Amino acid sequence: MMEGLHTPSEGGAPPAPAERIQCTWCQGQNPKDARNCRSCGAPLDLRNLVSESGWREAPRLRDMTEIRFGQSTCQVEGEVVPVAEIHLGRGDSVYFEHHVMLWKDEAVPLTTLQLPGGFKRALAGMPFIISVASGEGRIAFSRDATGELVVLPLHPGMEMDVREHAFLLASHTIQYSYVRIKGLANILFGGQGMFMDRFVATQAQGLLILHGYGNVFERTLKAGESLLVEPGAFLYKDASVTMDIQRQKLTSGLLGGFGMSLARMTGPGRVGIQSMYVHHATGE
Amino acid sequence: MEIRSPQTPSGEAPRYTCPYCALKSDGRSGTCPQCGGPVDVRALVSPARWAEVPGQKGEAKVQFGGSHCRISGSYVPAVEADLVAGDGVYFAHHMLLWMEPGLHVGAMSLKGAFKRVLAGMPIVMAEAKGPGRIAFSRDAPGELLALPLQPGEAVDVREHLLVFATDAVAYDWFQTDIWYKVQTQRGNDRETEIHRPLGLFMDRFSAGSRPGLLVLHASGNVFVRNLAEGQFILVKPTALLYKDPAVGMQLHFEHPATTWSAYGAWTQRYTWLRLQGPGRVALMSAFEPVHGEGGSLVACSPATQRQW
Repeated sequence: MMEGLHTPSEGGAPPAPAERIQCTWCQGQNPKDARNCRSCGAPLDLRNLVSESGWREAPRLRDMTEIRFGQSTCQVEGEVVPVAEIHLGRGDSVYFEHHVMLWKDEAVPLTTLQLPGGFKRALAGMPFIISVASGEGRIAFSRDATGELVVLPLHPGMEMDVREHAFLLASHTIQYSYVRIKGLANILFGGQGMFMDRFVATQAQGLLILHGYGNVFERTLKAGESLLVEPGAFLYKDASVTMDIQRQKLTSGLLGGFGMSLARMTGPGRVGIQSMYVHHATGE
Repeated sequence: MEIRSPQTPSGEAPRYTCPYCALKSDGRSGTCPQCGGPVDVRALVSPARWAEVPGQKGEAKVQFGGSHCRISGSYVPAVEADLVAGDGVYFAHHMLLWMEPGLHVGAMSLKGAFKRVLAGMPIVMAEAKGPGRIAFSRDAPGELLALPLQPGEAVDVREHLLVFATDAVAYDWFQTDIWYKVQTQRGNDRETEIHRPLGLFMDRFSAGSRPGLLVLHASGNVFVRNLAEGQFILVKPTALLYKDPAVGMQLHFEHPATTWSAYGAWTQRYTWLRLQGPGRVALMSAFEPVHGEGGSLVACSPATQRQW
């Protein structure tokens, strides 16, 4: 076990409330001497990095940080293109898009997740087959780009919308569906395509891990508070946050002008963005 | 910072063994004098026994012959070699970052030029002779990996990943024989494509009577694991960085269980590289997609398969 890691079962009875420390990233409870949150891996002994406007940098996970979910563990390895190495306990499983698999034990069985609307998803360029790996055994995932792993434990009742192809894996207790993006302008200029992934925790807590290109920043919007973001930078949001596309015309006098699309995000809820993105409107 | 190599006795027995290249030294320097791995950190080994190569951060100094190189930078690192007279390195010319004007640079001809052209590999390697300084980098985020080779030791490396090798290292290549042919239907046409996820060739570097040094570029982070004799591991083919020549490899296809239909189960196919020990295997965490997994498999190199 890595330094600073504390398992939930350590020490027998759960610690008294006064001896706990709450993770400011996922609100998970941890023993007071823990260095990393056991639910999301965020360092507990480092200050939050928050810009003046309120964007918080996603926690930089220490190399070899271990995270627990169900009977399983996830270890985050590497810092340039990090890997999530999962040790699946018996009865646990994770699902993912198959192209993010890096290696696995031979004995780990693979199945597929049944998804409705496969034809529509295929037309939209989304994976219509999601793979499932089940315990007991080890399997590792990474995505072929520089960036960060964003660990989002979902508590019962939480719903999260995620940019398509951005999720690395989710635990089996999280329901997977997708939402169709409404409005032609949103589809054409939103940089999202036609769908967003939706992850819902219903009965039990689950683990969702995303890959963000570059660095990832999060901001919490109050009810009615709005913000314009580059559509290609959008990574995730709470389902309570609405997203519309706003066209902006930029004119330059005699030479005419051009249009630009931005995503208007309106609270309440969290919005996550990534610092490295593709500008879909120009293809740059 | 003082660096003592085992060839320059410090008056006391070596007591530190580098976890990355196994060199014994006195451990007083901040980094291993042979591979640049830091000595002041614990080896990062996952429970599955993959050792993360730490990256030679912080101006790590690596000695080879009378020369040395320094690796600096983090996201797109560069390596700067200070060559003494009589020492030389060879490299693919597009890795060159800068060099001193007085350095002698020539071409090193390679055998099998026609086949290399067909395979998209460089047909001419550049070589630089000391004295002088020269620096290299590859225009992609990742790590530079210093891989020392002891006399008689060899390593197989994916093509295009060499940054430079010292002139004590012999360069050869071999056909990977890892391929599969798929058929896809496009309208009324059937198209057949051959995919080679490792490329047509792999490079083989071997040290003769003298120790040598390889510097490789890996996309993302690098993880190394030692496979015991007869031990298997499934890896994404395009994630392979290097392996010991003793490690065997072949294709492995997996068909996930699905409730749709037997046909659906059979056409869903994941392509793996099945590696068999004994020996070292290194992976990089950023890798290209494996192509052709959606087509109908019509032929392949020797392979195993499993239907879940």
